[in-house]
Amino acid sequence: MKHFTKLATAAALGTVLGTAAIAQELYTPNLAYRTGPFAATGIPLMNGQADYMTLLNERDGGIGGAKIDFEECETGYSTEKGVECYEKTKGTAIVTQPWSTGITLQVLPKTNVDEIPILAPGYGFSPMADGKVFQWAFNMPAGYWDAADMIVQYLENEGGSLDGKKIAFLHLDHPFGKEPLPVLEMHAEGKGFELLPIPVGLKEMQNQSAQWLQIRRERPDYVVMWGWGAMNAGAITEAVKTKFPMENFLGVWWAGHDADLKLVGEEGKGYKSISWSFPNMDAPVMQEIKERVIDAGLSQTNEEEMQGVFYGRGLVMSMILAEAIKGAQENFGTAEISPTQLRWGLENLNLTEERIAELGMAGMVPPFSTSCANHTGHSGGWMLEWDGSKFVKASDLLKPNVDGYADLIASSAAEYATSNAPWAMNEECSATN
Amino acid sequence: MLNDIFIAPFVDMVEAPDFLMQVLWEGLVSGILYALIALGFVLIFRSSRIFNFAQGIMVVFAALTLVGLFAMGVPAWISVGLTLGVMFVLAVLIERVVLRPLVGQPDIILFMATIGITLFLIGFGETIFGGENKVMITEELGIPTGDTVLEPFGGLLILQHLDITVVIVATLLVLALLAFLNYTQMGRAIRALGDDHQAALSVGISLQTIWVLVWFIAGIIALVTGIAWGARAGVSFALEVIAYKALPVLMLGGLESITGAIVGGLMIGILEKLFEIYWGQPLLGGNTETWFAFVLALIVLLFRPQGLFGERIIERV
Repeated sequence: MKHFTKLATAAALGTVLGTAAIAQELYTPNLAYRTGPFAATGIPLMNGQADYMTLLNERDGGIGGAKIDFEECETGYSTEKGVECYEKTKGTAIVTQPWSTGITLQVLPKTNVDEIPILAPGYGFSPMADGKVFQWAFNMPAGYWDAADMIVQYLENEGGSLDGKKIAFLHLDHPFGKEPLPVLEMHAEGKGFELLPIPVGLKEMQNQSAQWLQIRRERPDYVVMWGWGAMNAGAITEAVKTKFPMENFLGVWWAGHDADLKLVGEEGKGYKSISWSFPNMDAPVMQEIKERVIDAGLSQTNEEEMQGVFYGRGLVMSMILAEAIKGAQENFGTAEISPTQLRWGLENLNLTEERIAELGMAGMVPPFSTSCANHTGHSGGWMLEWDGSKFVKASDLLKPNVDGYADLIASSAAEYATSNAPWAMNEECSATN
Repeated sequence: MLNDIFIAPFVDMVEAPDFLMQVLWEGLVSGILYALIALGFVLIFRSSRIFNFAQGIMVVFAALTLVGLFAMGVPAWISVGLTLGVMFVLAVLIERVVLRPLVGQPDIILFMATIGITLFLIGFGETIFGGENKVMITEELGIPTGDTVLEPFGGLLILQHLDITVVIVATLLVLALLAFLNYTQMGRAIRALGDDHQAALSVGISLQTIWVLVWFIAGIIALVTGIAWGARAGVSFALEVIAYKALPVLMLGGLESITGAIVGGLMIGILEKLFEIYWGQPLLGGNTETWFAFVLALIVLLFRPQGLFGERIIERV
């Protein structure tokens, strides 16, 4: 009997301690893709994300005393697998990071029912900016419509009026590639340029000779690329091959991966990519990650990858999530926050220049803030330019003219809600932006 | 509309003959690479009735092994030799571990086994080499990378030296394969197995040896294809999808025909490029290469179910 009592006490104690340990963990799954045709772009991003969370776990014991369980569920960038991963991880998750526009579109209605925030930094469905309609979806610090607007602004600033000019829009034939079309079409109509959409199929990513023959025949003034994965390397090598002037070739932030440009090296000089992040090797966070994560053998990255744009962007993404968790913990006075409380954190981010510097990330992301109505933040970004060996800043901070397409955001969001009725909205949100 | 379909494209071709030549050249380069990949499928199918789903991942695996060995400090051409060695070992392992235990099983079981090989090679390759994009060692292998600019009819024709090399090497490889299959004992043994399995076995042809041989040849083809495509857009697992471009080539040319693979590859390479440029882009918004080859193959199958060069199967009841 004594033995039984001891065993029961030990079991009870173990359960209590175990529960306490579990309670001090925050489960933030990442629907990652380290395999498949898009792995080359996914790996540095995933490494950056994971390393920042490892740094917080190692240095601070997590966030607010709670360790971060940053588990990855491999999707291979497949929408079907992404949905499976979402279903598998949603049980105790406080957030979901779907990592593809296709997966985001699929899980968007599910998260609205399951009440789990989607965090899709710099990707996903652009009307997610409307927080009143998409109360559980966030794509800060900037969306694809912001990117399209900033690229058009940059072209106007650098090359004068776009009236009568021709812009080829080389894009992946996938929901991601088609995302900026509404804003580009709006600008084409308003500014008088001809927009020439050129789709690239998933099986043609590495053989774009037909697309570049079309570009040679049409002689556009600029080529704007919405590329991802192997498509970027394919396009950049074809541009070199067909002698398209690199200074007139620009891409979205996912088409600005160092490894893609290294394939062409000097010949890619002048190629540009709009970006809301910038790798700053002098930032204190980089040194800390090197010492506490990489040198400690807790990372999958390497010296070369660490210096690239995508690794730095991965760090920024996790920093955004960490700041939202921290804000929610402080506001609700608990380390173990719920998905609803995290939503509050994501809606009340205020990443000022000072706060970014305090986090050791000065110059790595522009300041931005969010609200219940503004889930994108519209931070703006820099135009980066390939100098033959790395990306450098080619512009001051560009800010999107959101007012120019605010109606488009509102109408597209409303249209989505209507076609997915009944769609729960945030009726309590009174903020206007 | 009729003008856009039947007149305007041909007017464009006549008005800009240099551009037409460029389109034909790009189609030829793609076509010869499709033919090469299709040959890998055909050789294995002829000798074993296996549709090798793993051909695509073999391209990735061969290219990754090559650049991986070079990154470890092995000189470029020795890396090529060692990669061929790795592909040979792979062929032996596939025969011993996967195929031999399945002899006599239905074709679908063997096909499923090649899917298993694909999944294994994806996981194994990612574990060993990682999924990052790698630069093909084009210059180190002595493959020229510049271009020659010609001005036919006062226009512009850009011929990449890499593409010229690919066309020459692929053509030589195809000719060497044809010579091997037609004029060597081993080659004739492969063909004999394709013609009649039982009869070939009864005269002492070793099924095991032939299977190792054809998988090794498929490995050589995979390496050449991997170098050619990898030099264009880097070496990553995305190269695997290139192999699927060979499927309509096989439908068109016939799964058993070496001539079919070559003619089918060239036909699809050139016709899909012509269709995309002169009809697809102006009339259908482009990206017709994704489906054109399959539609062409289906049309051919309507009239010749065995493909253009496939063997007509006559079964008497």
